[in-house]
Formats: sequence, C-alpha cells, structure tokens
Amino acid sequence: MKRTLVTMALALGLSGTAWSQALKIGVINSMSGPEAPIGENLTNGIKLAEEDLKKKGILLQIVWEDDTGKPQIAMSAMEKLATRDGVAGIVGPYTSACANAVSKLAERYKTPLLVPAAAKEEITRQGLKYVFRMNAPADVYAAVLVDAATGLGKPKTIAFMYENTDFGTSTTKTAKEYVAKKGIQVVADEPYPKGAQDYRSTLSVIKSKNPDLVFLVSYVADAILIMRQSKEVGLKPQAFLGGGAGYTTAQFATEKAVSNFVFSCTQWTDDVSWPGAKDFGKRYKAKFGKEPTYHAACAYESMMVMADCAQKAKGDKEQTQAALRAGKWNGIMGDVKFEDYNGFTNQNNHQMLVQQLFDGNYETVFPAKFATRKPTYPFPGWK
Amino acid sequence: MDVFLQSLISGILLGGVYALIGTGLTLIFGVMRVINFAHGDIQMVGMYLTYLLFVHAGIDPFVSVLITFPLMFLFGGLIQKVFINRVLDALPQNQILLTIGLGLIMSNTAMLIFTSDYKILTTSYSSGSVKLGGISISQPMTISFLITVAVTAALWWFLKKTDTGQAIRATAQDRDAAQLMGINVKRMSIIAFGLGSSLVATAGALIAPTYYIYPQVGAAFTLKAFVITVLGGMGSIVGAALGGIIIGISESMGAAYIGAGWKDVVVFALFLLVLLLKPSGLMGKSNA
Repeated sequence: MKRTLVTMALALGLSGTAWSQALKIGVINSMSGPEAPIGENLTNGIKLAEEDLKKKGILLQIVWEDDTGKPQIAMSAMEKLATRDGVAGIVGPYTSACANAVSKLAERYKTPLLVPAAAKEEITRQGLKYVFRMNAPADVYAAVLVDAATGLGKPKTIAFMYENTDFGTSTTKTAKEYVAKKGIQVVADEPYPKGAQDYRSTLSVIKSKNPDLVFLVSYVADAILIMRQSKEVGLKPQAFLGGGAGYTTAQFATEKAVSNFVFSCTQWTDDVSWPGAKDFGKRYKAKFGKEPTYHAACAYESMMVMADCAQKAKGDKEQTQAALRAGKWNGIMGDVKFEDYNGFTNQNNHQMLVQQLFDGNYETVFPAKFATRKPTYPFPGWK
Repeated sequence: MDVFLQSLISGILLGGVYALIGTGLTLIFGVMRVINFAHGDIQMVGMYLTYLLFVHAGIDPFVSVLITFPLMFLFGGLIQKVFINRVLDALPQNQILLTIGLGLIMSNTAMLIFTSDYKILTTSYSSGSVKLGGISISQPMTISFLITVAVTAALWWFLKKTDTGQAIRATAQDRDAAQLMGINVKRMSIIAFGLGSSLVATAGALIAPTYYIYPQVGAAFTLKAFVITVLGGMGSIVGAALGGIIIGISESMGAAYIGAGWKDVVVFALFLLVLLLKPSGLMGKSNA
C-alpha cells in the first residue's frame, strides 16, 4: 500500500514537471446544451490549432470548460480557470450572452480573454483591458451587406423582416442606423414571431412597397420558409440580403430553388485568399468529415494567437496581455491586430465577407479583392 | 387590395388545416369528455411518419395520407384502449395529467430517435404557386385545403349516415343512455380516439411539405387546437371547422394590417370577445 502511494506520488510529481513545461490555456465553450451543434465547430477548430502548435514545438495544456450555453456556468468556469488552474489566457466563450457575462471577471482576475466568435457589440465596448475579440461585431454584419449592395447598384429603398428576438432586433437596429447614413429609405419594418407557418401576408405587404433591397434575419428553418413564400408571392427586389445565421447554413444552401442568388455575410470562407485558409478547410474536412464554419476558423486563429502570446510571455498573464496588445498576425483570418476605435477596445477590425449562393454553393463576392466570383446583381428573378 | 385578397386567401387556406386539427380534438372531447393534451404530439408523430415515408420510400406527402390515416387510427385506438379507457371515470385533472404525460413521452421519444434538428421536406411543389391577377395562390396549400374539405365531408357522412357513426353520436349525446341501448361505448371511444388521431395526423401530413418538423412542434398546435375548439364550441364539428377558418383569417389579416408580431394578439382578443358574448362558443350548446 505504502509502495503504491509512493509510486503514485512519484508519478504525480513526474507528470507535474512534464505539465509545467506545457503552456496552460483555458477554453470555455458550449460543448453541450442547445448551442452545442455550433460549439462543436469551435472545439474542432481549437483541436486543429493544438495539433499545428505541436508541430511548431509549442506544447499546450488546454483546460476545457463546458458552459452548456448558460452565462452563470460560464462565469464559474472563468473563476475556476483564473484562480485554480492558473491559465495564461482563455479562449471563449462562444455565445454573446456567455462572453458578455465573463468579460468583467476576466478584468477582475487580470486574465486575458480572447473571444473568438461572439457578435454582441458591448463585449469590447466596456473599456476592458483584458478582453480581446477576434471576430467582427454585430454592426459590421449589416454594414458589409449594405456596402456590397450599394457597390453593385443604386438601391434607394430597403425592407426589413426579422425575428423579434435579441438577435433579430439588435442586428436590424444597427442596420437601420447604417442605411440612414447611406441615404437609403426604410419602406417596411416587419418583426415576426419565429415559428409561424404563414409569412405570406407580411411578404405581400413588403411586395406592395416594392423595395430595392430586402434584409432578412432568421434562423435556419424560418429562413427556408420565408424564401419559399417569397417565391410564392413573387417578391422580386434587386437583392435579398441575409443577415447571417439561417442564410449561411448548408441546409439553406441545399434548397437550391429558393436560395439561389441570396447574399449573406460571414466572418470567413474557405475560398478566401487569406494565408492558409484553403489548407485549413481541406485539413478540417479530412479530419472531421464536414465543412468548417466560420466559427471553427475564428476559434482556430484565436488559439494560435493566444498560444503565441502566452509562449512569448512564458505563461505570465500580464505579459500575455501586453503581447496581445502589441502583436500583429496574418493567418487564416487575414490580418489580426487588436486596436481601439469607434468606442471599441482590443477589437480586431476584421474584414467581413459577403457571399452569394450559386446553385447550392457559397462563393465569396465582396470585397472585390477577396472575391472568387462575380456577383449576380440585380436578382434575376425566380426560376 | 392585393394585400387584402392575398391575406384573405392565405388565411382561408391555412384555416382549413387548423379546422382539421380542431375537428380531431372536438371529436375526442365530444365522445369522452376528455381533453386531449397530447393532441399536438400526435400530430407531430404524423409529421414524422410523413417525413419517413417521403425520405425512405419516396412517397409524396399528400399521397402518404392514405397510409398515415389508418396507421394513426390504430395508434390512437391503442392509446385509448390501453390508457384513456382506464381513466374515463377518474377526476378531470387525472385525465389531463395522463394525456400530458403521453404527449411528453411522444415528444421525448421523437427527440431520442430524430434528435432536435429541424427536418424540412422539399418537394417539387413546395414553393409552387398559381398567379391570379395580383395575388398568388400556394399550390401545396390549395391541395391540402381540398384534401381537408374531402376528409371533413367524409367524416360528416360517416357520423350522419353509418350505424357506427350514429352510435358514436349517441355516445357523445348521453353515454349512459347509449350503453343501455346496447351500444358498446368503450368500443365507440376507441373508434373516436382513433379517428381524432387520424384527423390531426392528416393535418400534420398536409402541412409537412410547407412547414418544418421537430420533436416539440406539437405544443404550439395543441394550444391552437384548444382555441379553435373552444371558439367553435366544444364538441361541435361544424364549430371546429368554422373556428379553424376564423383563426386562420384573423392571423393572416392581423399580420398584414397590424404586424406579424401582433397576429396572436388579434387571435386571442377575438377569442376573448367570443367567450364574453357567447361563453359556449359559436356552435356550442350551453350544457356542453
């Protein structure tokens, strides 16, 4: 008995020394619960980053924490990582609600937090020194889509149709402010309760206003329903603009009869010319058997950046923060630099992309220097 | 004018399916005086059945009604025989608990088998429509409306003209008297619950090509079914049909003229108004 205890202690001691060489980085992600299907993409991205870092000789000890999509659980995970595990920095959480809840704790414990893919603007608008964000915040979603449309034609009117949830209303709110600046007139503003069966009457109201642009914010199933019924009532604007979510999924793309030529915005595509993006897409598909989403790319790059800084800082939290502030990277997400602008702090001014669907395939069409195909504008009509 | 006509037509077409859902619930209530809280979940089972038949056997959702209807009749009959018949004389709250429990079992079983992902049926006519002047009439909705009318007419004929139908109506009128006249009321109950399940499952099959399917889809429809049947008068089949159409039109008009977010407010305001002015519902008898 005594001997086993001694060997156990020895083994623990040995493993302890082995671990101490590895950099400790925490990950908070939604690995179970309702957000898990998207959280899985982040997990995969981080796993791929871990492999690549190993090839570079950077050994990581990743401490995984599951927030199950609930802010209070994300907060206790944050406390554990900062106080008990003593990590150099944290990548996560995935959802806006969790990331927002955790941000103030990161500041209190002086632990660098790199948010990979949460959209809520406030997260990096609180003047917090230890909170960094990789992806572009919600206001860019609308701006990049409207920029794409105004770059392609001369739209004068726009109609909004969006689900009456946090996500729908906040995205539309920033979109309305942006189109007002561009001199585009809002002719219809239709929030709807998600899960309805019949959008025909709302769509025919929109049709009667004859808008140049139709801006839609919905989740997957409603997105398909709304496009089907738009076809039915014969709504034909210059362009359909899908504000992320339901309009950027593989399931939506497969509905070729109704999804063709719909524009949508995204943080990342695998055909973009950023270094390593194509290769990442290929390796991801080979390893996990499906297409990577932008969440996977954001999480991958966040872990690469965090590990790079933590290594330079030799695992010290404050020096890691300084390294994140000072550093500049160029990887699968393009140029990454954390800056202060427009009320944001430590925000990577990420270039969002606009993609268009062609016969079930997403192609990057805007900005022009990243485009893989010429956009079709105006909308040529229903088949 | 186009907006008005468009809303009216979509409202009527949608109302047809609502009517079918309501008819099923009202039939069950009429015969057994049991409120079936698993109604929407039975519809969900019907929708998944349609989905399976379409994906694995390539059977068109509208044609699959021919398979769904008898299968769900057996399913409903079995539920009645094994569960509901045992609580017919129990307190109403116990009956409610039983049907809620059955519904939970159904939706959670569906979640185990199919996961909570949304399933969407894509048929060649899913977004098809016929243009008529400035308005468009949805092709799948029109077909489903016609099927609804046919099913309702057949049900009407069955209840009025056949011996079994008359026995069901007799049971609904007075259970004890019907039993004294030699009617096997337990058997009538099984038939009624089976028919109610078939009707709501048919409604599920009819909306499958234009809506989406997930394990909790039933809850919203259970609520709608109540509003429809109470509006029309509990136990009245004509009332349920009328209630369905009224709800369909008011949803559609509410969405067009007040805003999509307000359409349920329109429906429930109308519902409260009817209850205030005629508490037994539009076609209800006061003692129902």
